[in-house]
Amino acid sequence: MTNTQHPIQQMKTGTRLILPLTIAVIPWGLLVGAYGVESGLSAVQTQLLSLSVFAGASQLVAIGMLESGAGVASILLTTLLITSRHFLYGLALRQDIQHLPAPWRVSLGFLLTDELFIIRHKHEKRFCRWFLIGAGASFYLGWNLATLAGILAGQYLPDLPSLGLDFAVVAIFIVLLVPILKHRAAWVCVTASAITAVVTHLLQLPGGLLVAMLTGMTCGYIASNKDGMQHD
Amino acid sequence: MIEALILGMTLIVFVSRYLFLEPRLPIQPGPRLLHFLSFSIPALLAAVIAPMIFIQDTLLNLDPLNPYLVGAGTAAVCMKVTGKTLTSVTLSLLVFMIYRHLLTGS
Repeated sequence: MTNTQHPIQQMKTGTRLILPLTIAVIPWGLLVGAYGVESGLSAVQTQLLSLSVFAGASQLVAIGMLESGAGVASILLTTLLITSRHFLYGLALRQDIQHLPAPWRVSLGFLLTDELFIIRHKHEKRFCRWFLIGAGASFYLGWNLATLAGILAGQYLPDLPSLGLDFAVVAIFIVLLVPILKHRAAWVCVTASAITAVVTHLLQLPGGLLVAMLTGMTCGYIASNKDGMQHD
Repeated sequence: MIEALILGMTLIVFVSRYLFLEPRLPIQPGPRLLHFLSFSIPALLAAVIAPMIFIQDTLLNLDPLNPYLVGAGTAAVCMKVTGKTLTSVTLSLLVFMIYRHLLTGS
């Protein structure tokens, strides 16, 4: 695979490689759609959340908070806590994207989800904008179609989490994780991140994911320095 | 009111994703920061799945025979041995569903 490939081909490759994650996110999209309408939002408002916010965790939490009568300010603050891990992705991709024209930067920024960040190097080591836009756009489409289906199916949907569909996410993430665990520092990072995530989850901290990530990254970084790994 | 909230959330999420892609921002991550950031993917993957595996119904579940743990272990071993993504996901999903069915009897 090289960058000489046709843009359409690269977009197709992006769509294909993110497909397992697009499929895995369908139950959550259905849930956002059904839950939004059930909690009293209109169908248009529920779809608008997926179309413009495009962030599953923030959407679910916001709907839950609205239902329990929380104020706008506290919902926005919680959104900031949940979404702040994205600052890290932008920082990691800065070298590749900052030189692109504004429409590219804005589009890729808007589409920069956890899933897109995870698969960005699955295609090839070098950065490829067409690959990334194909993956991001198809994932966006999948998320919004799943939301729409959730709005339409509404109360007829079975209790999705109890079906065990959430295990699909676990399986896919494990499969992505195994090839990365090549050295001790990566194991240290994963262990620290996992333990912190479980603790913050039990304490129900809204920014728990970011806290867990930063803890894991710091421990991994320290371990790699002790192991004398090069900064690459 | 709801529309204003959606607009506010849209802006916050977009700024968090876009901020560091903006060239006019006067910072350049050095090699140390980039090395630190190279741990973001394993950290993210672990932080997302660990609570799904070890917490059920808001309670900690460290039982080694917890279906999520058994399924996750199956996926990890299968991926390590075969190196095949789809096989590992499908097999572990089957193990998870059958095993959980046997446990709950439903």
